[in-house]
Amino acid sequence: MAQTHYLYNIKNPLRRFRVDVYRGPALSMIVMFIFVVLLDLVSPTGFTQADLTYTASGGASLALAAIGQTLVVLVGGFDLSGGAIISFVNVVLATNLEPGTASSVSWVIAGLLIGTFFGAANGLVVAYLRVQPVVATLSTMFVAQGLALLVLDKPGGNVPAPFSQFFLGSLFDGSLPMPLVIVSLALVGWALLKNTRFGTYIYAVGSDRDAAGQRGINVRFVTFTAYALAGTAYGAAGVFLTAQTASGDPLIGAPLLLQVFAAVVIGGTRLGGGRGGCVGSAVGAYVLILIVNVLLVFNFSSYYATIAEGLILIFAASGHSSSDLPRTNWLDLASIWGRRRPAKNQEISVIPRSDKVHGLPGFFQRNADVLRYTMPAFVCLGIIIAIQAGLYGHVGLSYLNSQITLASFLIILALGQGTVVLTGGLDLSLPWAICLSGLLFTDWTQGDAASTIWAIPAVLLVGAAIGMLNGFGVVGLRLPAIVVTLAMNGILQGVALLYCNGTPSGMSPEFVHWIMTGRVLGFSPVSWLLILFVLFGVVLLGQTVFGRRIYAVGNSVRVARLAGVNVGVTIASAYVLSGVCSALVGILLAGFIGQASLGMGDEYLLSSVAAIVVGGTLITGARGKYIGMVGGVLLLTALQTVLASSSLPEATRQIVFGAVMLAAVVTLRDA
Amino acid sequence: MRREMATRMLLAAALSIVSLCTLSLPVRAEEPIKVFLSMSFVGNQWQEEAANTIRAMAASKKYKEKVTFEVQVAGPNAQKQIQQINAMVQAGAKAIIVYPISPTALNQAVKAACDKGVTVVAYDGEITEPCAYNVHIDQAEDGRVGAQWLADYLKGKGNIVMITGVAGTSVDSDRVAASKKVFANYPEIKIVAEANGMWGQQGARTALSKIVAAHPWETIDGILMQVGCYTAASMQDEAGIPDDKKIPCAGEQSQGHRIQMLPSGTKVEGTSGTYRPMGYPSISYSVPASQGAIAFKVAMDVIDGKNPPKTTIVPIKPVKMGEVRICETGSWKEMDEGCNVFKPTVVTDPGFMSGIYTSLTPEIGLAAALHGSPEE
Repeated sequence: MAQTHYLYNIKNPLRRFRVDVYRGPALSMIVMFIFVVLLDLVSPTGFTQADLTYTASGGASLALAAIGQTLVVLVGGFDLSGGAIISFVNVVLATNLEPGTASSVSWVIAGLLIGTFFGAANGLVVAYLRVQPVVATLSTMFVAQGLALLVLDKPGGNVPAPFSQFFLGSLFDGSLPMPLVIVSLALVGWALLKNTRFGTYIYAVGSDRDAAGQRGINVRFVTFTAYALAGTAYGAAGVFLTAQTASGDPLIGAPLLLQVFAAVVIGGTRLGGGRGGCVGSAVGAYVLILIVNVLLVFNFSSYYATIAEGLILIFAASGHSSSDLPRTNWLDLASIWGRRRPAKNQEISVIPRSDKVHGLPGFFQRNADVLRYTMPAFVCLGIIIAIQAGLYGHVGLSYLNSQITLASFLIILALGQGTVVLTGGLDLSLPWAICLSGLLFTDWTQGDAASTIWAIPAVLLVGAAIGMLNGFGVVGLRLPAIVVTLAMNGILQGVALLYCNGTPSGMSPEFVHWIMTGRVLGFSPVSWLLILFVLFGVVLLGQTVFGRRIYAVGNSVRVARLAGVNVGVTIASAYVLSGVCSALVGILLAGFIGQASLGMGDEYLLSSVAAIVVGGTLITGARGKYIGMVGGVLLLTALQTVLASSSLPEATRQIVFGAVMLAAVVTLRDA
Repeated sequence: MRREMATRMLLAAALSIVSLCTLSLPVRAEEPIKVFLSMSFVGNQWQEEAANTIRAMAASKKYKEKVTFEVQVAGPNAQKQIQQINAMVQAGAKAIIVYPISPTALNQAVKAACDKGVTVVAYDGEITEPCAYNVHIDQAEDGRVGAQWLADYLKGKGNIVMITGVAGTSVDSDRVAASKKVFANYPEIKIVAEANGMWGQQGARTALSKIVAAHPWETIDGILMQVGCYTAASMQDEAGIPDDKKIPCAGEQSQGHRIQMLPSGTKVEGTSGTYRPMGYPSISYSVPASQGAIAFKVAMDVIDGKNPPKTTIVPIKPVKMGEVRICETGSWKEMDEGCNVFKPTVVTDPGFMSGIYTSLTPEIGLAAALHGSPEE
């Protein structure tokens, strides 16, 4: 155990252990307790045994998945494949289970093994092929989702009743629900693991990879195993879900994606690794599922529900400030709130990961690193275009035009999202920031070209305000970015629906419609404007003080601060930029469609992250060039176009998409 | 110390609010029964309209005094909907109307609800648990009608593009399978591309843009879209294709689509851009949003001791070229007499789903779908 503390302390010598270690689970338990007491007081029947029973099963698969995700997050990873793996396990079991104990037992084992297999595949690609976790697991997500659709193209399957009864039953005369037993078993497994040498290694690797390696820890093996075990947990979640729903549904796991992250963060585990644990995540999962009951009891109906859910999410996470952000004088709000304290831990203990500085001239030599991670996207783009030409005979002006026009949204979003990611954050509020902006724009202009003069700046200001609020949450309230922006997305959704009362009104002005769909010298006007935008982005991130500050903050908050960078303002302005980009996309998307439509931003969340990462950006921040992100966007758009033009079934398309994306990025491995 | 004080004050405040809530509960001789709606997505046009028709039905003269009606949202997450249904049962629901996220995943929760005497009615989607009541269209018929019209219009010959819904859902696979079965009868019809349009205009436009990049308009003879014929016509307009050359399209009931089906040059107030009459060769069938209202009625019938059928199939009412009629006010009576699209001055959003009418729901007119207000 002495070793634990030694390794633990590498990063943060002054940490008060014990209190800190149990803070995460303790806080999430307090939140859960508050919820239960609230439900008990407010609901007419109180929180009964029946409520306990169904809640126990309702949150179990999310809890199991969150336990798996926690392992990955603890070693400094990120796993997007959990939901799809759960779906795949679910459909395999639902189509194969037969009555009888033998079948049940063997398929439970098979489910766990399938999960482990996918997890191991993630681990292999991340640890040994050195591909970024986001890309590796995103590819796995597409492949697993595609396979799930191949097994079952629509909900169905059959699960024997005893199988469900076993997992949903209870012990000790009905007083202890079986799902709680299962989740507890998983947590006992975690407790055992944590107290072995391997458990220590997990924290060591997550805290400081290099230091752990120098201590003789096999970093790759530890990372690999964490992913594989996470897979086992997803397998368990899939098995449980199969019992709970007594059927198979190829889409059942997909919505768990963001929920799992929310559960992990509410449970006090820090994204980036090294701090937290599975107990908090499991409790976090139950907090999330109890939100449903809280909303019901207080009758937050439809439009207000997402707003209330967002606020509850922030409340639930409010105990966990992200400790790597300093208390800054961000608009001096912190000091007004009396939360400002003298900064501690000022020792510089983190070596910046920045690109090596070469003193030598020569473009290629100077930019070798940059080229190495931005070029592959462009090379792959060339290959894809060649394939398109080979398959459909010609790659004409109209093909290129549609590619650039379709890519324009993501190219703009990539600047905002990319900048946020470079600072080490993530903006999940894009979908409804886009949608709300589009709604406001069409409503304010009502198709009138003259009013665009004030409407466009006004909408961009709204975007900036959204970004400002995100920035305030992340910097001022020091909350995890995922929680703040996820909550913001829900709040914006509610606001958008309340504003338009469920039915968008107004049209996009003809002028904006023309920008997206008209032609100037063979290309849509937006294509030409995009050249300016990309130039702006490249200069902004590459040549300005702002850009240098962004990279500095992403490299190391502490070093940046000592170098005189106002970290808070820098981070907040990244979110503001993202908000403005979202607003701009909202305007253009409304122009593209002709009016605003509900949910029109939804598809841009995951794809914005995928594109910037494929373009060579490191999801943990600091590394990445805007031009590379643009390459990533063009590559993914071209790939989707090839697939959409084919008559391949959707399942196969998803598998191909995932596989190609991975293959494209394997060349991106950083040495 | 200060913190302790604050905590106490908060607790006191919370307690007083709770007790106020309890005190202000209305006491009535005949307790109204509790009816819940568990809807899925907020943020989809059709879903909004369907929920509005249920609100309208609950607020109609017949039911207003008898029920308290509450709406909850589960989003796309089946786990949440399961939890929600369970919680609604605990909260004393007599009936739960559900837009089911999955036809199978809710079965256990629904069974548990039925066992406690709660009536569960699903609309649009289906719940396969036998104790549930279902209100939906015949999905296979939906897929068949559009495909058959297109095959007939093309005289059994040509290249077809299919824009489908969300892969992996029962509704989508049933529709697509039925459409393909029709096309299989015509060896000279070829499906050249197929993509998911996600049942929204934005998805439809993105999918179609990608397809057109490889298959130019002049190589396509017909389009089958679950949602988005309006988008298809608009894109052709932008590409400079004149009205008499527009590619025939079979699809659902969007307002803009039906306006485009009016003969080219028809004078209609409030039209602009591509939201205008263009003599679009097309069929537009309804997936009525009033299915939600019917589900509410079914639930009330069960509670009143009537014996409604377990499954209500709502007819899809295809509208062909030459059958489009503009409603003056959009009242149910008017729709009953045969109008099927609304004035662009009243419904400015061409993405609005205009197929509201069913013969079973005289309480539901345009105002119901827009604002949840029942007909007088």
